[in-house]
Amino acid sequence: MHHLPLLDIFDTIRQLGWGGFFELLRNGIVLGSVYALIALGYTMVYGILKLLNFAHGDIYMVGAFLGYGVLSVLGGPLAPTVALVPLIILMFVGAMLGAGTLGVVVERFAYRPLRNAPRIAPLISALGVSFFLANSVLLLTQGQRYNYSAYQLGGDAETGLPGPLVEPAFSVLGRPVTVVQVLVVSTSIFLMVALTLLVSRTRLGKAMRATAFDREAANMMGINTDRVIASTFFIGSVLAGAAGVMFGLYIGETYYFMGFLAGLKAFTAAVVGGIGSIPGAMVGGLLIGLTESFAAGYVGGQWSDIVVFGILILFMLVRPNGLLGTRAIQKV
Amino acid sequence: MRKLSITAALVVLAVLVTAATGASQAQFKPAGVKNAANALVRCGTTRTVGIAYPATGDAASIGVLQYHWASFFQTRWNRAHPRDKIRLVQGDTQLPNTAQALAVAHRFASNSSMLGLVGPAGSQEVQDTVAVFRGAGLAIVSGSATRILLTRGKPGDPRETPRGFFYRTVPNDGQQGDRVSFWITKKLKRTRVYIIDDEESYSQGLADQVQGNLRAARVTVTRDHVSQQVSDFSSLITRIPGNTQVVYIPWQLSSKAQLFYTQLRAAGKSAVVFGSDGTFDPSTFKGAGSYVSAFPVDYNSAALKAYKASHGGKDEAFGLPSYTAALVNAKAIMQACKNGTATRAEVRSKIANMKLTKKESLLGFPVRFNSKNQGKQAGPGDMATPADFAIFRIGPNGNYNRVG
Repeated sequence: MHHLPLLDIFDTIRQLGWGGFFELLRNGIVLGSVYALIALGYTMVYGILKLLNFAHGDIYMVGAFLGYGVLSVLGGPLAPTVALVPLIILMFVGAMLGAGTLGVVVERFAYRPLRNAPRIAPLISALGVSFFLANSVLLLTQGQRYNYSAYQLGGDAETGLPGPLVEPAFSVLGRPVTVVQVLVVSTSIFLMVALTLLVSRTRLGKAMRATAFDREAANMMGINTDRVIASTFFIGSVLAGAAGVMFGLYIGETYYFMGFLAGLKAFTAAVVGGIGSIPGAMVGGLLIGLTESFAAGYVGGQWSDIVVFGILILFMLVRPNGLLGTRAIQKV
Repeated sequence: MRKLSITAALVVLAVLVTAATGASQAQFKPAGVKNAANALVRCGTTRTVGIAYPATGDAASIGVLQYHWASFFQTRWNRAHPRDKIRLVQGDTQLPNTAQALAVAHRFASNSSMLGLVGPAGSQEVQDTVAVFRGAGLAIVSGSATRILLTRGKPGDPRETPRGFFYRTVPNDGQQGDRVSFWITKKLKRTRVYIIDDEESYSQGLADQVQGNLRAARVTVTRDHVSQQVSDFSSLITRIPGNTQVVYIPWQLSSKAQLFYTQLRAAGKSAVVFGSDGTFDPSTFKGAGSYVSAFPVDYNSAALKAYKASHGGKDEAFGLPSYTAALVNAKAIMQACKNGTATRAEVRSKIANMKLTKKESLLGFPVRFNSKNQGKQAGPGDMATPADFAIFRIGPNGNYNRVG
């Protein structure tokens, strides 16, 4: 019999103290960074095609598997054949390129033929791609869960001592912030800044903004919108691939169904932030990560999803365009 | 007018509910037992056994272990018994989707050549499908449904399966829970325990049992929950008080136990981790200093070595009882088929009287099924004493050493 968590919350807050508060804040920022990267893919595709790409969570899952594949090819976590830093870089590169390519293939074969179909058609196609990818990986992996073993990565295989990724980089209030947590947050910030610069300062970014604003007009102005849309899928999927490796390194686990819940939460982040808005996706990701962490820490793990998705409903009611979204102008 | 519409809608709803209830009762009424159970099946040289397990869905990662072991049994059995082969027919129950389990049950029930059944995997699935299997005269032999009430009722809570239609090749939650709490209180002598269930019925049943036992022994117990979908335990770990001595995790997934262990240690907490048979997987859960309750499996047996060799060095022991369940079916069918034909009723009768040696069962003890209550926890359909759990301690190199 679960009793009402509200009665316990104040007790838990008092017991955990400021140290516990910092731990939850740290956990939330790390998790939110991963959600933000996945949410960017949702929001970019929605911004340009008005399509909810439900297969995006599964591309993130494939990215995590590709990172694991690179790790395995290079000797595995307990006996890597290359040094730790180049190994991690190679894992990121492999996962990002692989996921990016998959994103383009999905766009080419599942969405492009439906470009002028009613909006429900590509949505159903997206659901189909999602199930196709998840169940293909299920068949390939026999449903097994694979562990990046980041705890041991670069450590001593003989003694089982942990590797440098879980060593504290620094401490706050006596609570450690580990190397892998710093790696996840800093990589995420780097990728988000790079994306922002790409969208605001480059020719491709300008073409993406033009296509998002009015695809027909952009076409008439000589922009190859098919190529721009493919590039958008590539970039969004690259970010999802990076998020997959981050999750693998931070949490450790990768399996065929991991994209479902992460995708749903990232989608929630994109909606909360204001779907179609790149800064909104970043803010939404962080908000969802922090909410999940504090809800799990103060209220209990069994309540965290209720709180996260409760927030989605609340936002839809109070602010349907999200935190940084803008009200769509009706054309007459 | 509005009142009239509402009244009409309520009447239609009531008719539909009555029709649906009537249909479901008609479907499950035991009147069909006699016909289906006594229908003669020509045995031939290959007999059909169904295996209901989660091949896809949330629990696929443990479902495939059960199928691997059952399939491993099939290969060995068929090689040794060329005139009494078995054929496994798969049914994907998509645990925890019990509606799918029910669909599989109907498909198996109407397969007139099917004489035996391995699974379903989950206790809830067993509860929801047993009426269908009973109607078809088939006995369930599950390798993982561990809820006590399936075999042993208590005042106010009747037994959930009819006698003679449910057997399990895994000791129940009560047997495992008693063993674990005895070990924590009497052997480790710990007084502050944190219990985290994974919100699945297997986990909650075990956690309830251990929690009750520990509180009765005046141990300070804190209970928490985490979804089986969660991989990031960092916030949960923040909640665990620094002076906790044991964290008990009766989870189904060994990979989650390993994740939890590494995240607990990375957070600088040193409590001993104690897992259940669901976490028993030496190739995955390697948390040094942790304890696991599981079958007293003989790892030096030729069968286990052969399994590991053919499965990438993994023993996947969680699925092992499905091997035993398949063996129970195969032997029962072989005995019933001695005259060339068999009925499902005959097979059930052979299962009830089945005896496997310790060497045959692979579980580390001989198997026979109770026909009446035994001790405080076991009922008809449970394995009789000495079926019990052993306690293993994980060494620094990930080796499992039996300590009790």
